[in-house]
Amino acid sequence: MGRLLVVDSRDLTEYAKGPSLPLLVEELCRQGHDVTLFLVENGVIAARRGAAAGIAFDALSDTGAHILADDVSCRARGIRELAPGVSPSDLDHLADKIADGFDNILWY
Amino acid sequence: MHNDDPVHKARKRVRRVAIVLSTGSYQREAPTTVLRLAEKLLERGIEVNVWAFEEAVTLTNREQIEHNEPPSLKPVLGESHAPVGRFIDQLLRAGLHGAKMDWVTCILCAQERGVEKHQMGGAIVGTLGDLWKFVGGADQVIAIPAYR
Repeated sequence: MGRLLVVDSRDLTEYAKGPSLPLLVEELCRQGHDVTLFLVENGVIAARRGAAAGIAFDALSDTGAHILADDVSCRARGIRELAPGVSPSDLDHLADKIADGFDNILWY
Repeated sequence: MHNDDPVHKARKRVRRVAIVLSTGSYQREAPTTVLRLAEKLLERGIEVNVWAFEEAVTLTNREQIEHNEPPSLKPVLGESHAPVGRFIDQLLRAGLHGAKMDWVTCILCAQERGVEKHQMGGAIVGTLGDLWKFVGGADQVIAIPAYR
């Protein structure tokens, strides 16, 4: 099974296909892949605690996905509390993970 | 500790990353994010090769001018805001003392936008052949999508 990185830089509610990204991550996890979903730029908007976007990050996390939110992007948008299942992170963390290698990187 | 786990099987540490970027100045945050990430990778001794095409060829336009902020906004934003190209210039110079970054600008895209002759020092005007080499030589490829 692979080690995969999915970076979401877009607000998942901004485009019609946005909600398909968590579904993709969920399916990849169910297939046994080790998946990291890194939220950056407008990607962190859906991770605000209490956001109406309806993205079930806690359920997604339960499937084994590592869901991380970039601190700079959060601060720029006034996000102080993250939804359950999402952990605070930063680009140092992302760079460390990339240095360890992924089988594939998808940047959305 | 993960030796028996196929997901965590021993991996060769990444030494070279290729980034493909098509977003230009003042469009979205992507260039800034890419540069923030590139800086972190360079700090880790990882070589970064960026292939800039479409609107991204304007990022390295040396004619970009730093404008002063309006007086009412200076307390918040400072005196002025630097163009993204300043950040690229700093990373190219930083590479002189550690892991290097190459920045190649697509010649066709630059010619179409009239910026071929205005590229900053350090930026290389190149072709799809450079993209081929970057991707072929990379341990990791990151393609930043265009938003339309």
